[in-house]
Amino acid sequence: MSSCRAVLSETERSAGLGGGDEIPVSAAPASPTIMTPEPRVPCLEVRGVSKTFRDGGQIVHALDRVSFAAYPGEFITIIGPSGSGKSTLFNIITGLTEPDEGEIVLECGVVRRRAGRVGYMPQRDLLLPWRTVLNNVILGPELDGRSRREARRRARELLPLFGLEGFENAFPETLSGGMRQRAALLRTFLTDREVLLLDEPFGALDALTRRELQRWLLGVWERFRKTILFITHDVEEAVYLADRVLVFSGRPGRIVKELRVDLPRPRQAISLLSEDLRRHEAELLAALEAANGHAPSGETK
Amino acid sequence: MSDIASGEQLDLVARRATAVAWWRDFGVRLALDVARVLVLTGVVALVLAFFSAGMLQLIVEARAQENLSLATIFPSPVELRQAWDEHQTRLLQEHIPETLWETLAGLTIAVVLGLTIAALMDFSPLLRWVLYPVLVVSQTIPIFAIAILLILIFGFGSGPKIIVVVLFCFFPVTLSTFTGLQSADPELISLLRAMGANARQIWVKARLPAAMPSFFAGLRIAATYSVVGAIFGEYITAQRGLGVFLKRSYSSFRLDQAYLAILLTALLSLLLVLLVNLVERLALRWYYTARRRSWRGPGIY
Ligand SMILES: Nc1ncnc2c1ncn2[C@@H]1O[C@H](COP(=O)(O)OP(=O)(O)OP(=O)(O)O)[C@@H](O)[C@H]1O
Ligand SMILES: [Mg+2]
Repeated sequence: MSSCRAVLSETERSAGLGGGDEIPVSAAPASPTIMTPEPRVPCLEVRGVSKTFRDGGQIVHALDRVSFAAYPGEFITIIGPSGSGKSTLFNIITGLTEPDEGEIVLECGVVRRRAGRVGYMPQRDLLLPWRTVLNNVILGPELDGRSRREARRRARELLPLFGLEGFENAFPETLSGGMRQRAALLRTFLTDREVLLLDEPFGALDALTRRELQRWLLGVWERFRKTILFITHDVEEAVYLADRVLVFSGRPGRIVKELRVDLPRPRQAISLLSEDLRRHEAELLAALEAANGHAPSGETK
Repeated sequence: MSDIASGEQLDLVARRATAVAWWRDFGVRLALDVARVLVLTGVVALVLAFFSAGMLQLIVEARAQENLSLATIFPSPVELRQAWDEHQTRLLQEHIPETLWETLAGLTIAVVLGLTIAALMDFSPLLRWVLYPVLVVSQTIPIFAIAILLILIFGFGSGPKIIVVVLFCFFPVTLSTFTGLQSADPELISLLRAMGANARQIWVKARLPAAMPSFFAGLRIAATYSVVGAIFGEYITAQRGLGVFLKRSYSSFRLDQAYLAILLTALLSLLLVLLVNLVERLALRWYYTARRRSWRGPGIY
């Protein structure tokens, strides 16, 4: 496993971040940001994945021959109607579910055990109710057998940014929905995986916090060259964050459009009213509408 | 069922076939409904019959008793006080410590045993398959019969009484812990698996903590039973203990002493349950913070 994880992108190596795991966020030097990832070996490849659920008499075609590749350091957002199999795709990539057809290739090739190879933030926050916020967010390092103290130290540094300062000893049940979501995001980030799968991470946030965390995520992504797959229902968010937007059709989910967003980076300072942004959004919206209009019914009795 | 032809008009034969099928379905559903009503009425009638017959029996027998008055059934507090003063030293120095010792030893052994069996059943489906019926059957054999046998064989010492307490107590602990282990949130477990946790980590970090509220519920029942178990064991044959005190009181027709013994038993049980509650509060702080929030104001957050 470690040999696979060791395959880091060139940028990272040249920036002296080869250690990857143990670098505290604040101490990392600002690396030169390279905007467009050159076509290299993809760190994640989804090949012709189909999935059908049979639940009693009901058959649900969730995914239909979905294929795409994510290259190191790429930021991909996925957008599509509700129930189009986006979460199912993430479950397949993390190895919780096996596809009916197709395969997942992670860095070294098709591996049998995919669990633990990518960082996954599910749609439900799924914090452990018996752990405080601080102990929840260090779950990743703890499962890897890394030092808990070091993990706690890093977590404490990041708590203010996530608006969780002062809540490190609170239990999840006493937090608001958005705070729980932020805690779940922090937990995912602290797993220190190269590939992060984020399932609607900012769904329950107010506009201001959402904007702030989007900026933070872009910052982290640029600094550490993570590869991010990001599901969202928000057109603006999809365009603002991504190198590429994958548009899913209604059930059965398939990729109906791939939109390249060639806005300059870093985008943290970009105006939300910028002409380019609006143009991309309009294009994406049109694609979504087209996908919904032709959405074939996937259910058969 | 393809009873709707695609676009073509339905001919008369097909329509009649559908009608026949509908009436047949209707007949089946009607028969099932009638059967359900009949069975439920029968059950309710049986419950009412046993309840009224039982109550009648009680009233008839109470009437038949001559000179039944509260004064002969219940001693006055003053009499209780006198009985206490009379036996205070022996009760405090011999009987209560002995009963308490048997209770606590038996209860702790029952807890360890119960947790172990529950864990084994949770780990291995085979063991579950074997142990579950054995456990249930072990409770259908009257414990009294086994206990009397044990004490008649092993005699006056504390050992056999401790075993009786264990017999009384391990079942609720085992069953509730097992149920708790099985009821852990499957999505939480999926998340841990996706994060690369192994079976042991999943058990220690998710299943066991999730089972703790159920475990304490079982422990509370066991604590209530435990003192009674010890008294029962002592009643059969022993040299000291509240059970012996009770037995001697009856054989010398000292109803006031008997009541004193009953009162002390109840008090010990109550203290034990309170102790369990206290430990639970301390151990399951997360559980109670969540609950407290919900009774501050009901709502879903
Ligand atoms: N375990 C399952 N058993 C049966 N059907 C399932 C299962 N998991 C998902 N489905 C079905 O697959 C379809 C896709 O579900 P999925 O959760 O992937 O959608 P989604 O794109 O994430 O939707 P949303 O945007 O609302 O989160 C749904 O119709 C759902 O009912
Ligand atoms: Mg989803």
